Amino acid sequence: MSVNGRPIELVLDARKLLVDVLREDLGLTGTHIGCEQGSCGACTVLVDGRPVRSCIMLGVQAEGCDVTTVEGITPEDGLNPMQQAFKDHHGLQCGFCTPGFLTTLAGVTPDAYPDEESVRELLSGNLCRCTGYEGILDAVLAAWGRDR
Amino acid sequence: MTSRPSHIGAHVARVEDDRLLSGGARFVADVSLPGMLDAAFYRSPLPHALIERVDTGEALQVPGVAGAFTADDMTDVSPFPDFHRTARPVSIFPLARGKVRYVGAPIAVVVAPDRYGAEDARDLVSVDLEPLDPVVSVDEALAAEAPLLYPEWPDNIVIRSAVTNPEAIAEFEGRMTVSGRYQVGRHAGVPMETRGVAAEYRDGRLTVWTSTQFPHIARTMLSYCLPLDETDIRVIAPDVGGGFGVKAEFYTEEVTIPWLAMRLGRPVRWIEDRREHLISACHARDLTLDLEVAVDGDGRFRAVRGMAIQDLGAAEMYPYGFSPAFAAVSHITGPYRIPHQSVGVIAVATNKTPCGAYRGFGIPEATFATERLMDKAADRLGIDRREIRRRNLIGRDDLPYRTSSGAIIDSGSHREAFEETVRLTSESLDRWRARLAGDPHLRLGSGVVSYIEGVTPSYYSTSGHWTSFDSCSVRMNPDGTAVVSVGVSTTGQGLESMLTSLAAEALGVGRHQVRVVMGDTDRTPYGLGSWGSRSTNVASGALREAADVVMEKATRIAAHLMEASPDDISVHDGRFGVRGTPGASVTWRDVATVANIRTTDLPEGVKPGMEATASYDPPGIEHHPDEYGRVNGCATYTNASHGAVVSVDVGTGKVRVLEYIVAHDCGTVINPQIVRGQVVGGIAQGIGGALLEKLHYDEWGNPMSTSLLDYHLPTATEIPNMVVRHFQSPAPAMPWGAKGAGEAGIIGPAPAIAAAIEEALSDLGVAEITRTPITAPHVLSLVTSSVSGGRQEDRGDHR
Repeated sequence: MSVNGRPIELVLDARKLLVDVLREDLGLTGTHIGCEQGSCGACTVLVDGRPVRSCIMLGVQAEGCDVTTVEGITPEDGLNPMQQAFKDHHGLQCGFCTPGFLTTLAGVTPDAYPDEESVRELLSGNLCRCTGYEGILDAVLAAWGRDR
Repeated sequence: MTSRPSHIGAHVARVEDDRLLSGGARFVADVSLPGMLDAAFYRSPLPHALIERVDTGEALQVPGVAGAFTADDMTDVSPFPDFHRTARPVSIFPLARGKVRYVGAPIAVVVAPDRYGAEDARDLVSVDLEPLDPVVSVDEALAAEAPLLYPEWPDNIVIRSAVTNPEAIAEFEGRMTVSGRYQVGRHAGVPMETRGVAAEYRDGRLTVWTSTQFPHIARTMLSYCLPLDETDIRVIAPDVGGGFGVKAEFYTEEVTIPWLAMRLGRPVRWIEDRREHLISACHARDLTLDLEVAVDGDGRFRAVRGMAIQDLGAAEMYPYGFSPAFAAVSHITGPYRIPHQSVGVIAVATNKTPCGAYRGFGIPEATFATERLMDKAADRLGIDRREIRRRNLIGRDDLPYRTSSGAIIDSGSHREAFEETVRLTSESLDRWRARLAGDPHLRLGSGVVSYIEGVTPSYYSTSGHWTSFDSCSVRMNPDGTAVVSVGVSTTGQGLESMLTSLAAEALGVGRHQVRVVMGDTDRTPYGLGSWGSRSTNVASGALREAADVVMEKATRIAAHLMEASPDDISVHDGRFGVRGTPGASVTWRDVATVANIRTTDLPEGVKPGMEATASYDPPGIEHHPDEYGRVNGCATYTNASHGAVVSVDVGTGKVRVLEYIVAHDCGTVINPQIVRGQVVGGIAQGIGGALLEKLHYDEWGNPMSTSLLDYHLPTATEIPNMVVRHFQSPAPAMPWGAKGAGEAGIIGPAPAIAAAIEEALSDLGVAEITRTPITAPHVLSLVTSSVSGGRQEDRGDHR
C-alpha cells in the first residue's frame, strides 16, 4: 500500500486493524481510537480518497490501496485551509476527535452538501464531546466559502 | 510600573491548536517506549459475587505473556486511604479482593507484548464466582433484609447527613407547599479519549503517564499506595482528550499499571477500550432530590426542605461519589431569595459502576429540582412561569447576598441575564412558530431557567483531604522569554492559551515569548489540577503573585540600567521604558541577561536569577459546612439564564431543540472564544443528558449501555444553533475579576427543555416531567396518557 504518498511494504498479522498498523507500525499517531466499533469517527482515514473507519478495517484489506491520514493532509509548513478554518473558528478543544473530522472533510465534495442541514448530517458521523459542533460547523462553512 | 492591557478580552489564536490539528499531539496512547508491554484486565461479568478462585495458569502458557496477576500478588500495595470522617470506609484496592460489587470490577490483569496477545491470554483466565443477590436501586438497597455490599456494615448506607433546621421547618406552617421528587438519570462525561496509563520504572524512579485532570494528586495517591517516596514518582498528564470530571478521579488502574512496571522491570501500558470505559470509568448523576417548598400566595418561596438521595453504585471511587450530592445541597436555592433551607443527604451503595464526577457536579441536579418546583408553583398559583422567577430572583441591591445554602454571592447579573434570556427566547419561539406553522404533528414550546454555579471550590468536601490552593512558577530566561509552570493542567479547554495571555499581560512580553508548562509533576509546582471551573482563577492568582515578584526585580534592574527611578519604569511588548523620557529603553533580554549572566551589572542589593514561585489560595472559601449543611464552598459564583425552544412531535414523542439561548456572566471575559466554547460545549452535553444519554441497567444489575451504539452521544444534528450573550460582573476578590466558566453550560438544559416540552404540550394537560433523560418513548407516554386518561403522575422507571 501507499501511506501519505509513501510506498509501504509490511508483513502483517491477518487480524491486525488498519488503525493499529498506522499507529504502531508506521508511527502515525495522529489517527486516534475512540470506540473500536466504527461509531465515533475518530479513526477516520482516507482509503483511495474515501473516508474509512480504520478501527473496523483490517490492515491487510488495505493492500494495494492509497491511505491518507491527518499527517498526510497537513502541509509541510503551516495548516491546510480546513485546518486553518478549525483554528480560526474554535472548531476544536481537546483535539482528540479532530483528525477524524479533518480526514472526513478531506474526502467529500462540498457541492454534495449544499446547505447547513446537509453539512450537519455529514458531520453527524463523527462525535465530538467538547465543542457542541458550533465551531466545527462554522469552520466548515467558512472553509467552503458559505455564509452562516 | 504599569503595563497596558493588550490580551484580556481579545480574540487570540490558541497555542495548542497547531499540534492538535496536524496529528502532532501526544496523548497517553501515543507514548511508546522500548520493550513496552500492553495490559488487559479481566473484569467481573457479575454485579455481585464472591471470588472463589482465579486460575491464571492457562493464560501464562500463551507465548509472550509476561505475567498474569491478581490481588493476592499485590502484597506490597496499600489500599486507598479512607480520608472522610463520616463516610463508611470502602478501602479501595487495585484488584478485587474476595468480592466484586459491579460488572466491570477488575479481578485480574494480564501483560503481553501487544494488546492482541494480552486479550487472548486474558480470555484464558479462569474465574469462579459465587453469585450473590444484586442490589440495583436505592429502594432495594434500603430495604429491610437487603443484601449487603459491604458485609461489615449494618446496611448499604455510605454516608447520611440528616439536617433539621427548625427555622426552615417553621416556615411550612400555614403556607402552601409544593413538592416533587426529581431524578437526574445516570449518565457520564464520556470523553472521546478513554482513560489510559503508561508506566516505566527505571533507576529507582517511577514515571507514570496518565490521562488525568490532577497529576499532582495522582502522584501523592501513588505514594500512598506503592512503596515509593513521592520524590521517586513523576506523573505526566500529556495531551488529555477531554476530562469532564471523569478524569478527576484517581483510578485503581493508575496503581496497577505502575505496579506492573515495577514488578516486571519493563514499561507497561493500558489503554482503556470503550466498553471498559462505559462500565468502569466513573458514572455520574443518578441523584434524586425529594423536595418540598413553602410558598407565599404571591409566589415567593420561603423555605425548602427534603433530601438528596444518591445512588452511588459500588462506592469504590475516589474522590468520593457522594460529593456531588453535597454540592447539590449547597446550590439548591440557586439565584433565588429562599430564606431557609433544610436539606439532608443520603448516599447508598448499589451493584452498579461507582459514581464519581461529571461536569456540573451536583449543580445540574439541584437546578433541575429547583427550577421544576418554580414551574410547578407557578402553575399551581396561576402565575406566569417567568413572573414567578422575577419575584424570587436576587437583584443587584441584594448583593452581597448569602443564600440559605451558605453561598456568598458578591456580584452578578441575575435579573439582567434573566430578562435578556426571556426576551431572546420569546423572539426565537415566534420565529420558529412562523417557520414551522402548518405541521400538524409539531407542538412548540419554550422554557427559561436560571442558576448560579459555584466555581473554584474547596476540594475538602470532595476529597476529605486536599483543600483549594494552586501554584505557579515564573522563570525568565536570559533572552527575555518566559517559562510559566503551573499546578493545573489541561484537558483541552485552552488553558495553555489562557495562561499564555495572562503571563504576557503580567510580564509585559509578547505571547510568543511565553511557554506554559503543565501536566508534569517534575517540572511544575504542586497543585490540585483542573476541575471545578477553577483553573483560570487559581492559576492566574498564583501567576500574578509570582509575576509581581519577578517584575519588581526586573523594574529595579531596568531602572538601574537606564539610570532612572523604579517608580518611572513602564513595560510593554518586551521593552522597558521611562515615563517622560521617550528615548530611554532597554529590552527584557537586556534585563534578564543582567539577572542571569552579566550579574556584575546588577544594582546593589539585587541578587542574581530571575524567577519566583507563588501559591494562591482563593479568599473566602469555607471547607466545613455548619450543622445545617450550609457552606460557602466556592470562591465565587458564575450566573446564567438559559432558554430552550423545542418542538415535540406528538406522533412519535421526538423532541427537537430548535434553538438555545444563554445569557452568561462569568465576570471578566479573558478570552471570549474560549469562554463561548466552554459554554456551548457544556450546553451540548447538557442536551445529551436531558434527552439522550442513559447508562441503563437491567433488573439484575447488568449494564445495557456498553458501546457508543447504545449510549447515545449527541451529534451535529441534535445540537441546535445557540445564541450566547455575555454579561460581565467582575468578581471583586478574584484576579482579573474572572469567574470560572467550565461547567456552567451543562447546568441549564435539563430544566429548560423539560419546561419547554410541558409548554409545548400544555393544551394536552400532560403530567409534570420529573426525571431525565426525557426520551422519545417517555414523551410519547406523556402524550398518550394525557389523551386517554387525563392528568397523571409521571411514573417512570426509577432504576
